Amino acid sequence: MPPDHTAAADNTGTPSPIFAIQKARTRFFGLTFDETIRVFFGGNAFVAVIVLALITFFLFREGSQFFGQNRDSLRTYRLAGLEYVDIIRQQEEDHTALTRYLFDIRLKAVVKLTEEGVDAAEAKRRLAKFDDYAERYGDTIVPVRGLVSELTEVATDIKTRYNENEDYKVARQQFLASGMKAEAEAIVVKNLDFSREILAITGTFPAYEQINTEYAEALKAAIAELPVLPVPELQPRLERFRELNREYLATFPTRTELLKNWNNNAPVGWSESFTQFIFGTRWLTASFWQDWYGIIPLFVGSLMISAIALFIAVPLGVGAAIYVNQIATPQEQKLIKPAIEFISAIPSVVLGFFGIAVLGQALRALSQWEALSWVPGFPYSERLNALTAGCLLALIAVPTIFTLAEDAINNVPRAFKEASFALGASRMQTIVRIIVPAALSGIVSAVLLGLGRVMGETMVVLLCAGNRIAIPDFTAGITAFVQPVHTMTGIIAQEMGEVVRGGIHYRALFVVGLVLFFIALLLNFLAQKIVRKYRISIG
Amino acid sequence: MDTPAATPASRTFNVPATASAADGAQTLIEIDSFDFYYGAKQALFDINLRLADKRVTAFIGPSGCGKSTLLRCLNRMNDLIDGTSVKRGNVKIRGIDIYGRDVDSIELRKRVGMVFQKSNPFPKSIYENITYGLRIQGVKSKARLDEVVEKSLRGAALWDEVKDRLHESGLGLSGGQQQRLCIARTIAVEPEVILMDEPCSALDPIATAKVEELIHELKKQFTIIIVTHSMQQAARCSDQTAFFYMGKLVEFGETRDIFMNPKNPQTEAYVSGRFG
Ligand SMILES: Nc1ncnc2c1ncn2[C@@H]1O[C@H](COP(=O)(O)OP(=O)(O)O)[C@@H](O)[C@H]1O
Ligand SMILES: [Mg+2]
Repeated sequence: MPPDHTAAADNTGTPSPIFAIQKARTRFFGLTFDETIRVFFGGNAFVAVIVLALITFFLFREGSQFFGQNRDSLRTYRLAGLEYVDIIRQQEEDHTALTRYLFDIRLKAVVKLTEEGVDAAEAKRRLAKFDDYAERYGDTIVPVRGLVSELTEVATDIKTRYNENEDYKVARQQFLASGMKAEAEAIVVKNLDFSREILAITGTFPAYEQINTEYAEALKAAIAELPVLPVPELQPRLERFRELNREYLATFPTRTELLKNWNNNAPVGWSESFTQFIFGTRWLTASFWQDWYGIIPLFVGSLMISAIALFIAVPLGVGAAIYVNQIATPQEQKLIKPAIEFISAIPSVVLGFFGIAVLGQALRALSQWEALSWVPGFPYSERLNALTAGCLLALIAVPTIFTLAEDAINNVPRAFKEASFALGASRMQTIVRIIVPAALSGIVSAVLLGLGRVMGETMVVLLCAGNRIAIPDFTAGITAFVQPVHTMTGIIAQEMGEVVRGGIHYRALFVVGLVLFFIALLLNFLAQKIVRKYRISIG
Repeated sequence: MDTPAATPASRTFNVPATASAADGAQTLIEIDSFDFYYGAKQALFDINLRLADKRVTAFIGPSGCGKSTLLRCLNRMNDLIDGTSVKRGNVKIRGIDIYGRDVDSIELRKRVGMVFQKSNPFPKSIYENITYGLRIQGVKSKARLDEVVEKSLRGAALWDEVKDRLHESGLGLSGGQQQRLCIARTIAVEPEVILMDEPCSALDPIATAKVEELIHELKKQFTIIIVTHSMQQAARCSDQTAFFYMGKLVEFGETRDIFMNPKNPQTEAYVSGRFG
């Protein structure tokens, strides 16, 4: 080491200028140039993570209060006696269902008679006895119905007064908060004493018991004599009707017991608020009686449409992927690939238009075609239904499934294919036994992502699904797929604009959004996991 | 690649008019005036070759000279590549032109099996790998499949190593075992000819020795054509050797002669390691 170097280092504390290895001095906001660049790119990369976190946070914040509000709503439902009335109303509705069963039998009888060449007037004459019976049967419920409508009024009144009072309270608070004392004093808050008010409802219990006993007697009498149908084949159905009535009558004691022990002060738990949402079969809003926020009809609607869409899109997308990757000539590839990928560029609202204007009409016309009447559910009359929406959603899912499946197939090492051919396999055998199995997890994850795409699609379902908020009638089996449905995405798009910000309905829509968000998250997570496993298995 | 210094007039190869198997062994494969193209690019030039039955023939030559191409022509694997064509000549196996109109390339490949440079077992169990060839031919009998699995694995000298894990993935084996699995898979369909394209180039010396030993065994039953980069391997395993250069067959003969007493100066340069 040269002596002058040591001396310089000792004297000044700075290393020799010949060996300059310090960092450059230029700094922006205290960062070197390299660090600035790093921050810039890193920041961009993290934006995605931050946005995701923000969305989650926001959804949670808006949605979480729903369950509290729903609990309050259910509490009022109970306190004001609406629940009590609904227990009796259920009895009435069950009776209506049985009456409908009777009418159904009549309809079948008329059809049968017409087939036999009996004219309308004659059929009516032959069914006169039956009609007489049906009318008497229908009348048995009248006293119960009277009681229900009476109690409905009472309960509505209690609830209305309670709600008005709650509004007053809020108004008063607001006046007080802004220092307007006089106005605040002017508002008279009269707290409702529910335990007293409820007597107007529960007090009718003896009357109910009386009515109910008579009703039960009348029913028993009615089913003791069954009407004779002019169509003997339908007689078993009448037997079934009697059986149903017996089952119905058997529920009476429990119902009476339920009413007797009913207490308007019974606490409403969180779990009740939660289950009412998750398992609730009614989505009923802006009702004069009671609002229900049950996600099941919407969830089932979404699920049904997605199932239809995948049923169509999976064979199409995967088949096209196999064809393009393994069989097609380069010219065909050049035509098919961009065409399929272009579908995903069509705005979904345009597809929705197409669905309303063309597809819905065409499918209905097809369903009414004589030669296709063997298809379950055909013919149908609703132009917009789950099938129409499902067919269009299939179109949306196909590009996703196609592109990802094709990718997966393309990733299968060429060596597998060559080995298979060298063993004397045909092209089809190679595809079915080697290529598809090797790409299977990639294909499955493509389908999952396609499902995610379909579940989240809004515009098409809003325009084409028919938007009836009800669980499709699955009793008729597979025909349910031509019924109109509503979906989770559709309901948010449709109702979000009309609700009061911060209200229970508003929050319920957010929770539906949250459910959608988690479904999407789950599907993506699964797809990624499966793909990773597949990478390992191919090695 | 530059032409070797030993042969200044490198374009005038002394290609034998018809290279033929010596000592009267029955001829199995006849290649006549064979020209092969990848699109517009000619890869093989006027190949004439007679390969004997139940012999091991080695194809040697610098890389890119067309060894693999010719090998893959023998079971028409090149059909899978777009744009390939045979412009002249023909290949006959047992007197049948394999590029003839009525030849089913799938049937051909059942008769002419192939082992690749990089071992490529299917992502299936060892058992499934071996039975694949039979299953696609429609063999369903469990007893028959079991029998073939054992026979093939024994034939590939792999049975003792894997007999307890037949139903585990073939990808879990070591490189050498994988290659022997591929050989077992090939012999399971009982072809007449086995083509091997540098089967040991990815293996360590011990695994290579095992495969070479195996080739000696297989020779009793199969006609084997092996492409190799290693001169020692060609010398050790093969009965006959063909030397290719730039798409042309330069010299063909008994392996001993090719290595000890090459007629062509280019062959001499190549086998003595002066280029390649
Ligand atoms: N798939 C292909 N397409 C076009 N040219 C090819 C293809 N495969 C090989 N070739 C060309 O054919 C020639 C012979 O190749 P190849 O038979 O693989 O040589 P080798 O096996 O002797 O190393 C080379 O020039 C190579 O570039
Ligand atoms: Mg090669």
